[in-house]
Amino acid sequence: MIDRREQVLAHVVLGVFALIALAPVVRIVLGTGSLATAWDDGNFSTSLRTSAIVTVSVVLVSGVLSILAGYAFGLMRFRGEQVLFYVIVLGLTIPMEAIVVPLYYDLREAGLTDTYWALILPQAALSTAFGTFWMRAFFRSVPRSLIEAARLDGSSSWMTLWRVVLPLGRPAVLTMVVLVFMWTWNEFLLALVMVSDESLRTAPLGLAFFQGRNTSDEGLLMAGALIVAAPVVVVYLFLQRHFIRGMLSGAVKG
Amino acid sequence: MSSVAFRAVSKRFGHVEAVRELTLDVPDGELMVLVGPSGSGKTTALRMLAGLEAVDSGEIEIDGRVVNDVAPRARDVAMVFQDYALYPQMTVRDNMAFGLRRRRLPRGEIVRRVTETCRTLGLSDLLDRRPRELSGGQQQRVALGRALVREPSVLLMDEPLSNLDAALRGQARGEIRRLQREVGTTTVYVTHDQVEALTLGDRIAVMNEGRLEQVGTPEQLYDEPANVFVGGFIGSPPMSFLRRDGELLGVRPEHVRPWHEGLLGPIEGRVAYVEALGRETLVGVDVERDARLVTVIEGRARIEVGDPLRLGLVEEGVRRFPA
Repeated sequence: MIDRREQVLAHVVLGVFALIALAPVVRIVLGTGSLATAWDDGNFSTSLRTSAIVTVSVVLVSGVLSILAGYAFGLMRFRGEQVLFYVIVLGLTIPMEAIVVPLYYDLREAGLTDTYWALILPQAALSTAFGTFWMRAFFRSVPRSLIEAARLDGSSSWMTLWRVVLPLGRPAVLTMVVLVFMWTWNEFLLALVMVSDESLRTAPLGLAFFQGRNTSDEGLLMAGALIVAAPVVVVYLFLQRHFIRGMLSGAVKG
Repeated sequence: MSSVAFRAVSKRFGHVEAVRELTLDVPDGELMVLVGPSGSGKTTALRMLAGLEAVDSGEIEIDGRVVNDVAPRARDVAMVFQDYALYPQMTVRDNMAFGLRRRRLPRGEIVRRVTETCRTLGLSDLLDRRPRELSGGQQQRVALGRALVREPSVLLMDEPLSNLDAALRGQARGEIRRLQREVGTTTVYVTHDQVEALTLGDRIAVMNEGRLEQVGTPEQLYDEPANVFVGGFIGSPPMSFLRRDGELLGVRPEHVRPWHEGLLGPIEGRVAYVEALGRETLVGVDVERDARLVTVIEGRARIEVGDPLRLGLVEEGVRRFPA
């Protein structure tokens, strides 16, 4: 048990750190018009919209594919199951830096550079590798008898997934959503290489505008960073309880 | 309702032969208990009947129809699992209605069946609770209700009482027996507990290392065990064995008495343990190398470990096995 003195000490330490972290944010928010200026100069109305379209698409596509693939790899037995799983998981080991150049030429060949597809498809594919790995671990942790009971109750595989198993996996699914959302939102290199059209620039690219020859205003840079980070913080705050539960259950169950 | 038949059914997991050439008939309406130690193949046999494990060779019939290649949901069997396998996110009502909805029964019929089954099982006040809000005994009844509400052709139970404490287990045993007689559904019940088998089964099939050792009524198994394994497995305490003139003699505790004329014996031995159970006392007596006889003495026995004791056997209670 933690006694009262330890509790107070913990609160004081956490309070000091919170103050250190939040002070610059408060300064930016209260600063004279720096947020509004950063918004206009960084063209964030456009770049945030692009980021939102790309991120939501990637989360949706990779989420659905990961759930279906994780279910199959976790609970079904089929020929070539292991080999196929390792091929998919291989995607986890490949960094974007290693594939971005050939990917650029492939997508240019297909006429997809400077489109949303150039940002959505590669990221959805990489996120599906992680998501499949993640969801398979969850499905393997579901008691087998539960799935067998559903089968005997007359439930098809499809119905067992949506009605019996998936409702139990809310923490796992939401954790995957938060992680994929963060990774996709923060992706910089792919957007830098694949997109030159101003209207398709993502928010992290917009941030780059404040560095270098165009401007050296530190206040504006911080305000821009705040604008870019805000959606991730909001998503995390909304889903943090499930996120923590999902991470913990993953840690315990392996 | 339906009959069940195993015809030379075998199942292998890698190098392990889980079930060997099992042939067993369960007539319509019977409660058949499959009993045996762990690894005897009883659960595998049940799972093959449910369609949850494939059959390697042989045939399984339900109501005369071979079901080897029939999907579990098309076999019209319901199962009570050892861990109950209740859907955690659903209420008691939804748990029970789930299978009926999958079978597209009319809404009114679903409500009628759920209400009726809950009334029979005393679950009417728990309909809106989720499994985690129920005690172990209540969860067990919901699992039983979920199986019964479907009115299946065959009811399967895989050690459904093993997670309950002793007092609740006795009560639940009586309830299962009563309900099975009421609804008359053909039932196959798996347990490792021979007391459960003796008190529940119309007939009992004793399995060991994948083989069927004996099938019979509880009385047959107790009085006339087919071999040493059955004699040693059925009964608490089990049959005692000792060698005499090239034979292996098996005898139940009630047929081992303090020596007097008219009994087989005398057999000299020393008391190895004394178990006072209140109304009676169990006394284990070492009579020769590797042989221990157990006798029952009414009330409290004035006897100590190490005391010499002279015993005799009731002739008609002695079973003879090849040595």
